[in-house]
Amino acid sequence: MFGRLLLQLLRGSRGRLAVALIAIVSGAAVISALLNLDLDVGSKLTQEFRTLGANVVIAPSQSQGSSPAKTNVAASLSAPGLMDENLVLQQMKSVKTAQVVAAPYLYVIARADKTPVVVAGTWVDETQRLSPTWKIEGNRVESRDDQAHALVGRNVARELHLAPSSEIALDYLGRTAKLTVAGIVDSGGAEDNQVFVNLVVAQQLSNLDRQIGLVQMNVGGGSKNVADVAAKLAAALPDYDVHPIRQVAAAEGALLARLRLLIFSMVALILVLTSLCVLATMAALAIERREDVGLMKALGGSISRVVGLFLAEVGVLGAVGGTIGSIVGMVLTRWMGHRVFEATISMRWEIIPLTIALMIAVALAGASPLRMLGNVKPAVIFRGE
Amino acid sequence: MFARLVGESFVRNPRRKILTAAALVVGMAVATATLTIALDAGDRLAREFRSLGANLLVRPQSDTLPVEIGGVDYRPVDEGAYLQDADLGKLKMIFWRHNILGFTPFLDVPAILDVSEPPVATTVIGTWYEHDVPVPDGTHFRTGLKATHPSWKVTGKWFADDAKECVVGADLAAAHPDAIQVGKPIEIGSSIVSQVRTPLLVTGIVSTGGAEDQSVLVPLSVAQELSNHPGQFRQLFLSALTKPADALSIRDPQSLTPTEYDRWFCSPYISSISYQIGQAIPGVDVHAIRRVADTEGRILSRISTLLWIVTLAALGAAALAVAATSATTVLERRAEVGVMKALGARNMIVGGIFLAEQLLLAVVGGAAGYLLGILLARALGQSVFGVPGSPRMILFPVVLGLAALVAILGSLFPLHRAAHFEPAAILRGE
Repeated sequence: MFGRLLLQLLRGSRGRLAVALIAIVSGAAVISALLNLDLDVGSKLTQEFRTLGANVVIAPSQSQGSSPAKTNVAASLSAPGLMDENLVLQQMKSVKTAQVVAAPYLYVIARADKTPVVVAGTWVDETQRLSPTWKIEGNRVESRDDQAHALVGRNVARELHLAPSSEIALDYLGRTAKLTVAGIVDSGGAEDNQVFVNLVVAQQLSNLDRQIGLVQMNVGGGSKNVADVAAKLAAALPDYDVHPIRQVAAAEGALLARLRLLIFSMVALILVLTSLCVLATMAALAIERREDVGLMKALGGSISRVVGLFLAEVGVLGAVGGTIGSIVGMVLTRWMGHRVFEATISMRWEIIPLTIALMIAVALAGASPLRMLGNVKPAVIFRGE
Repeated sequence: MFARLVGESFVRNPRRKILTAAALVVGMAVATATLTIALDAGDRLAREFRSLGANLLVRPQSDTLPVEIGGVDYRPVDEGAYLQDADLGKLKMIFWRHNILGFTPFLDVPAILDVSEPPVATTVIGTWYEHDVPVPDGTHFRTGLKATHPSWKVTGKWFADDAKECVVGADLAAAHPDAIQVGKPIEIGSSIVSQVRTPLLVTGIVSTGGAEDQSVLVPLSVAQELSNHPGQFRQLFLSALTKPADALSIRDPQSLTPTEYDRWFCSPYISSISYQIGQAIPGVDVHAIRRVADTEGRILSRISTLLWIVTLAALGAAALAVAATSATTVLERRAEVGVMKALGARNMIVGGIFLAEQLLLAVVGGAAGYLLGILLARALGQSVFGVPGSPRMILFPVVLGLAALVAILGSLFPLHRAAHFEPAAILRGE
C-alpha cells in the first residue's frame, strides 16, 4: 500500500521532481568529482613539484675534519669530503623504487683551453629525469658508459665558442680528456657554467677511482615519503650526511593546504545551493499537494503517515539522484584529470556511498517545506481557501 | 497601469517573493564570492610560490666563466666582471616594478677564518638581509634575503646590514664549536699572506641545505671592503610575480608585430620582465632560473584551470537554484493568472507582468547577493589565503546580469505553460 502510493506520487508529479532530480544529480556529480580530486590532488601536485630538482642530498659528513669550503670539490686532492661510490650505491639500491631518481656527482675544477671550468661527473643520461626543465640544444647523452660525449652549459659554450659536435679538451694536473659536445644546456642556474661528463670520465681525470662527492636524489610521493627515504638512508650510511631540502617540501605543503581548503569551501557552497534548489522544488510540491493531503486526511490518514510518505519520496529522489550523480561524477573526474593534470585521477569507490548519503541528507533537508502539510485542515482545503 | 500592477504585487503580497529572493541572494552571493576568489587566486598562489625563492638571475654580460659549485663562486676576486649596487634602484622604475617582490645581490669572496691553527679557508658571502635601496623616484625599497630566500633558517638573528656582524653556516659552525659561537666575534682576512683581519660579531647560525652551510654570510658592504671592490657585486637573485608562459611569451620579441609586442610588453611574462630589466641596467645578462620558473608556471596554469572548472560548477549550481525557485513562484500563482485571464488580459500582458516582477526581484536580490558575496569572499579569502579577498566593482554588473538572465530563463518555461491555462479550470480549483 505504502509502496504503491509512493510510486503513484513519484509518477504523478514527474515534471516537478525532474527539476529536483537534475539539481541533485548535478550537485552529486560535482561533489563526487571534487572529493575524488581532493584525495588525489596531493600526489598529482607532488608529481609536478618533482621538476624542481633534487629534494634529498647525500654529502660527506662535516665531522671528518675536512676543509669546509672545499667539500665536494675534488680539487683539494687529499680526498677528504669524498664518499665511496660502491658503498653509497649499494645502500641506495635498498630505497630504489620507481619514485626515486638519483645520480652521483663528482666535481673537478679542470681547465679547458686555459679557462678554469667546473666539470661535473655524473650519470649524464639521468639528468633528463633529474632536471627535466633543462632546455638542451643538440643531443642528449644516452648512456652512462659513454666516455666520448659531454653536455656543456650555455655560458661555457659561449665563452669557449662551442657548438654541438665540436671538440672540448679538459685538462687536470696533466691528465686530459678529449670529448665531443653532444648538446648545450640552458638551465638558468649554476649548471650553465658547468660541463657535464659521465662519472667515469671525471674519476679518471681526477684520479679518484670509485669516489664521489655528492648524490642528488629526487624522491616522489610527498613530503612524508621523502622524510622516510632520507631517514632510511641516514641509518644505512652513518658516516655520511643525508639531508632533505626542505624548501620544496614547505612550498608544496603550503600550496596543497590552500588548494584543499578551497576545494572544501566549494563543496560546502555547492551543497548549500543544491539543498536550496531541492527546497524550492519541494515548496512548490507542497503547494500542489495540499489537496491530496486534505483528501488523505479526510479519509483518515494520520499526519505522520502522510508526511512519512512524502519524506520517503524525497529519500528515493536523493538516493537515485546521488547514484546517477556519482556515475556522472566519475566521468567528470576522468575528464578533469585529463584536462587539468594530463593524467588519470585514481577513482575512489568509497566516494560513491558518501555522495549518496550526502545527497539523501540534502534532499531531506530541502524537504522541510513538506512539514507545512502537517498543518493542513481538510475542511479549509476543500472549501478552496 | 502596468507599473502599478507590478508594484502592487510587491506591496500586497511580499511573502510570495521570499523564496525567489532568498535563492537569488544566496545564489548570487556564492557567484560573487567564487568569482572574487577565482580572480584573486592566481595572484595569491603565485605569491605562495615565491617561497621557493628567486626565479630570475642577473649577471654581468661580459663576465668570465664563474667557477661555481653548489651556489658558491670560487673565482679569485680580481677575475671577471662586476655589477654596481647603485644601479639596483632602477629595478623599481620598470613597467612591472610592482611585480618585483625582492632582489638580493651576492658577492662571494674567498677568505680565511682565524678559528684554528692553521686558519680555515672558507668563502665569505656578502649579501643583504633587509636593506633599504634608494629608488630614483625618491622612495626606498626594502629588500634582501628575507624576500628572496625565505626558506633560509637562522638560529639567533640575522646581521644588521650596516654593522660588522656575520651569520655562520651550520656545518662550518659545527666543525669548530669552540671558536664559533653566537655572540662571540670571529676574525676574517682576505688571504693567508695579508695580516689584516676584520673582527665580525657572530649573530646567528644559518642552515640552508646548500653550500652556504659551509660559508660565512656577511653584509654586502663588509664583503666589498674585504675584496676591495666597493659598490660592486657578482650576481643578483630576483623574485618576481609572473604570468605562466604561453604561446606569445616564448616567441622572440623581435619577431612580434607592434600589437603583439605591446601585449607582450604589458604582460608580466618572465621574458618581458627580463627584457625590461636588461633595458633598465645596461650590460647585464638576465636569465630565468628554469627549474623554478618552469615548475611554477606549469603548476599555476594547472591550478587556475582547476579553479575555473570549480567556479563554473558553483555558478551552475547557483543558476539552477535560482531558476528552480523562479519556476516555483510562477506556478504558485496560477490562480492570479486565471483571474487576469478571466478579466481579459492577454498572454503578452500576463507574461510581461511576471517577467517585470522577476526582473525587479533579480536586480534587488542580485544587489543584496553581491553585498553578501563580498562578505563571504572576505571570510573565504581570509581562511584560504590568509588575506581577505578584495571586492571587485567589475563583478557588480556581471552578477546583476547573471541574476536577471537566470531568473527570466527560470520563469519562461512555467509562463509558457501558464499561457495554456484555462481560466475556468484554474478558478474552479482544478
